[in-house]
Amino acid sequence: MTNIGVYICHCGTNIAGVVDVEGLTQKVAKLKDVSLAKDYKYMCSEPGQDLIREDIKNRNLDRVVVAACSPRMHENTYKKVLASAGLNPFLLEIANIREQASWVHLDKEKTTDKALDLIKMAVAKVRMDEPLTSLSANVIQRVLVIGAGIAGIQTSLDIANIGFDVVLVEKEQSIGGRMSQLGKTFPTLDCSACILTPKMVEVSLNPRIKLFTYSEVEEISGFIGNFKAKIRKKSRGLDESLCTGCGLCQEKCPTKVPSEYDEKMGKRKAIYTLFPQAVPNIPVIDRASCLYITKGKCGVCKKVCPAGAIDYERTDEFIEEEIGAVVVATGFDPFDPVSKEEYGFGIYRNVITGLQLERLLHAAGPTKGEVVRPSDGAIPKRIAFVQCVGSRDEHANKYCSRVCCMYAIKNALLIKEHHPESEIFIYYIDIRAFGKGYEEFYKRAQENGIKFMRGRVAEIFEEQKSRNPVIRADDTLLGMVTENELDMVVLSVGMIPRSDSSKIQKMLGLAASPDGFFMEAHAKLRPVDTLVDGVFLAGTAQGPKDIPDTVAQAKGAASGALEVISHKTLQLSPLISEVDERLCRGCGDCKDVCEYGAIEIVTLDTHKVARINPAICKGCGACAVACCNGSIKLRNYTDSITFAMLDATLGGAV
Amino acid sequence: MKEYATFLGCIIPNRYPGIEATSTSILKYFDIELLPINGASCCPAPGVFSCFHLESWLAIAARNIAIGEETGQDIVTMCNGCYGSLAEANHLLNGNKELKDKINEILSKVGCEFKGNSKIKHMIEVFSEDIGVKKIQESMKNTLDGIKVCTHYGCHFLKPSEIKKHGSSERPRFLDDIVRATGAESIDYKDKTMCCGFGGGVRAKDIDVTLDFTREKLKNIILAGGDCIVDQCASCHLEFDRGQAEIKKIYGEEFRLPVLYFTQLIGLGLGMEQKKLGLEFQNIPAQSLLDKINGGRK
Amino acid sequence: MPITRNIIRINDLNSGFIDEFVESGRKIFGEDVLRSVELCIQCGCCTGSCPSGRRTAFRTRKIFRETSLGFKDSVLGSDDLWLCTTCYTCYERCPRGVKTTDIIRVLRNMAVREGYMADAHRMTASYVFKTGHGVPANEEVQKQRVELGLNRLPPTTHSFPEALRSVQEVLRLTGFDEIVGFNWETMELRGRI
Ligand SMILES: Cc1cc2nc3c(=O)[nH]c(=O)nc-3n(C[C@H](O)[C@H](O)[C@H](O)COP(=O)(O)OP(=O)(O)OC[C@H]3O[C@@H](n4cnc5c(N)ncnc54)[C@H](O)[C@@H]3O)c2cc1C
Ligand code: SF4
Ligand code: SF4
Repeated sequence: MTNIGVYICHCGTNIAGVVDVEGLTQKVAKLKDVSLAKDYKYMCSEPGQDLIREDIKNRNLDRVVVAACSPRMHENTYKKVLASAGLNPFLLEIANIREQASWVHLDKEKTTDKALDLIKMAVAKVRMDEPLTSLSANVIQRVLVIGAGIAGIQTSLDIANIGFDVVLVEKEQSIGGRMSQLGKTFPTLDCSACILTPKMVEVSLNPRIKLFTYSEVEEISGFIGNFKAKIRKKSRGLDESLCTGCGLCQEKCPTKVPSEYDEKMGKRKAIYTLFPQAVPNIPVIDRASCLYITKGKCGVCKKVCPAGAIDYERTDEFIEEEIGAVVVATGFDPFDPVSKEEYGFGIYRNVITGLQLERLLHAAGPTKGEVVRPSDGAIPKRIAFVQCVGSRDEHANKYCSRVCCMYAIKNALLIKEHHPESEIFIYYIDIRAFGKGYEEFYKRAQENGIKFMRGRVAEIFEEQKSRNPVIRADDTLLGMVTENELDMVVLSVGMIPRSDSSKIQKMLGLAASPDGFFMEAHAKLRPVDTLVDGVFLAGTAQGPKDIPDTVAQAKGAASGALEVISHKTLQLSPLISEVDERLCRGCGDCKDVCEYGAIEIVTLDTHKVARINPAICKGCGACAVACCNGSIKLRNYTDSITFAMLDATLGGAV
Repeated sequence: MKEYATFLGCIIPNRYPGIEATSTSILKYFDIELLPINGASCCPAPGVFSCFHLESWLAIAARNIAIGEETGQDIVTMCNGCYGSLAEANHLLNGNKELKDKINEILSKVGCEFKGNSKIKHMIEVFSEDIGVKKIQESMKNTLDGIKVCTHYGCHFLKPSEIKKHGSSERPRFLDDIVRATGAESIDYKDKTMCCGFGGGVRAKDIDVTLDFTREKLKNIILAGGDCIVDQCASCHLEFDRGQAEIKKIYGEEFRLPVLYFTQLIGLGLGMEQKKLGLEFQNIPAQSLLDKINGGRK
Repeated sequence: MPITRNIIRINDLNSGFIDEFVESGRKIFGEDVLRSVELCIQCGCCTGSCPSGRRTAFRTRKIFRETSLGFKDSVLGSDDLWLCTTCYTCYERCPRGVKTTDIIRVLRNMAVREGYMADAHRMTASYVFKTGHGVPANEEVQKQRVELGLNRLPPTTHSFPEALRSVQEVLRLTGFDEIVGFNWETMELRGRI
């Protein structure tokens, strides 16, 4: 004999406004096995919870149905109520009469009928539900952080400083990411290196951080608490343990090629480090331009290296690491403005990008901080910034990149500081100065005589002799079309997902939002989580943001990862599929449909059977449907339960 | 032998027959036959008639396509305007069943039906895709070496690019490639992709505005050192050729810049007689250009 | 001089104009194309790109703003509306994907219906009624055609009178004759030009 209690929530007027709650309660009370039915204004409130708790104790309820909002909201609340009253929490069902009834219909009578049907089904189900106990798995208490820009650095430091181990993998030869390319930072104008390098050094000195640079994660397998990562440590063409970072090789190398790190504004050698404070301060031989490797000639670096570290034949190494959680902090790429052909980037030499300007303004950059025109090396006196290049644009990226307004203002101010006589224009659609101190920073630019030109630049053309770019734009505030001949134009390019991000996305099974950046689990309430348990996001890999927001999110991701790995064991949902090994023939159809890779076919003495890894299984039930002879069952969602639910609403018509 | 149904439009047969004669004979040389579309009318001009009454514009364009389709061949136009009208009509009608039914109901009264099976092509595509730059280059008999050409693409072949799908509308290349295939040099000039000023009914209503466009383009071409303009559109062709005469009257400025449809340039390279090209019937004499070519040959 | 209040009362604008506008072109272009006018953020990229606006008072951006807000009379009655050459430069560049040139064409259709069709345009249209060609052949060209080895008249409505009658019939069925004011009896435009 079962004793089911049904609790119907008004949810203020959210439900009661459309559903006749009192009438419903009376009908529900008459259902088979229902020993009591009650309604209450807010079931999720403390008095509401107490009501259930008391009834379980005093009226000997052995199963509970709550008819209220979506189980995504409060299923856990009520499970805890059951547990605290000594009842197995899996003997609870939620009938969602808000999202599935009152919020989506208007007709009171019909909606009440539908609510009754939903409750009937919940009652039918709860009657057959079995008590279950949560499973537990051991947790590997280390975190893998992929990408060592400011986001990955901050996450790693936070986790390590709390006392847990971190494996930090960076693709480039040094950590630091894009922030290391920047000259100064808005809105305080402190030098990027001055605030970044201390953190970089901290990473290199922290014994809890195992750093792999010039490395990539090739494969990740496993599940929350128990991941395995295969890391490729690319060959630098030298023995890292011998290199002292003296720099002699770079000095003597005869080959010069355009520097990617300097955004092609300067040159680097074939053996090179990215910047003076690189961590680690160990160079890499670029195999594509090294004369020894490409032509078998030269070999200068090997000759001059006092440590004898150069080893051209060195090959990649592979390392496996076990971790309990993963933080993806792979950052962004700048938008390539070549496709905005009306701006002539790549054709007009004095049209450059914002990141190129950062390199020119950087004290350790190719021009040692002096801004010069690419065409003739002259110091430009009339400079314009073109905003929203590749952003807020249906033909490129629809979204706002969130940093370009502020970085243009920053660099305009810096140039004005160096050369107060220069004339600077910023062509904008809207100035977005939303952060702390940003509006004030915008005003400071105006105070310094920077001219803000309201209008999206229509096109740029070049005066042939002088190679001066001319901007054509509507001054929307004047209502006049303007032409402005300049010495140099800077395109404020936006942020886009990294060109190689699909590799990481596939490897981890992440989702991408329509903008192409990795998608968080919930835009508001779970901004650093992903839909893959145990995998978190930090920084611009998730969407455009500035350094303050990146750091804040990195700290959030650290806390998310810590929540997973700070426990030795992990509770896993018991609502998963199970195989009846007496029936299973090991055909593998289930394995093919499992999205999560939870199923393995194992060979027993006489035959093969499917085995489900309870830690990976999400309880989606795809295998149970695929199984040809019914040997897989999804707990508490068996066929007989489903039919009982249908019977309950269709009156046995099935 | 490849065949096309030829849509002539108005300006080519009725103002610049040289373009019609030249294109037809060059295509024959390259083994491509142009079939007439008997009874075709004005396309009607996309920027003009569609602005008066979209439905009428669409119905007439659909009729032209319908009778062209009866030849069983794809339809080729020589003018960006004709191309613009027919291609846009094709696009709109094939994408909207209700609209197609409505237009066909009208057409059924005059015994035709728009099916939408034929491709609408432009003469420039026949040269750059069917024949190809390489073959043009190989057939040249007269070197046009040393001739500085300023190309003018016009608007309605390229734009809107999301419908026309001929690649970049900001920095197109195919016409320059054809110019280069003749041995001539294609030089850049300011506002190269700017409109000639002809379209949208502006020429009929506000000719001074139209001519101001034309004048600006001509100035830019002269400034860049161009020996001639090469275009791919009958309307632009008229604008640059007749426009120069009109500018002379209104503004007192004289440019004397020869205007060639691209097949006329190819014709020069193939050694066709000037007479056959119809250049002498144009407003602006091409003599300066011909002298330069012949001078270069000596 | 007395001071007058120089403000626009938004309440007095024709707020239904936008729907009227969308309805006018919906059957041809589809609703989304026309509604795109409401996505305009007044960035001015269209105006800055417009070769016509560089020499006239025509401001694409202003037309789109006025259309969205309901300045019916000033949009449809403005001569500037007719200064677009339909070059589509703005259409290609608009960052919001506003279908600028299509919008202008539909506005012109509305203007024509409101009686704002220029005589010069009626004249152009009348040639099509009479000959099937917007630019019909003349004597001189007919001679040139013969010299070039072409037929005196092209194989168009010029050579096929029954085809011309088809064209005329189509224009009658679409009601273009009424719109333009074409008199079939005199085969001329109605009213004095
Ligand atoms: C021109 C410009 C100026 C700016 N100026 C400012 C400013 O003044 N103030 C401000 O607050 N913000 C500024 N920003 C924004 C700032 O650059 C970003 O907020 C910040 O760099 C984001 O850091 P991140 O760690 O998320 O990404 P990144 O800096 O891109 O770091 C990502 C790291 O991950 C590595 N990585 C990528 N893929 C992999 C992989 N598969 N495996 C391993 N490693 C990988 C990359 O090599 C890189 O080191 C500016 C941006 C630009 C474009
Ligand atoms: S370019 Fe587009 S968004 Fe900008 S003002 Fe013009 S129509 Fe509006
Ligand atoms: S299509 Fe019209 S409005 Fe747009 S740029 Fe060309 S002339 Fe100007």
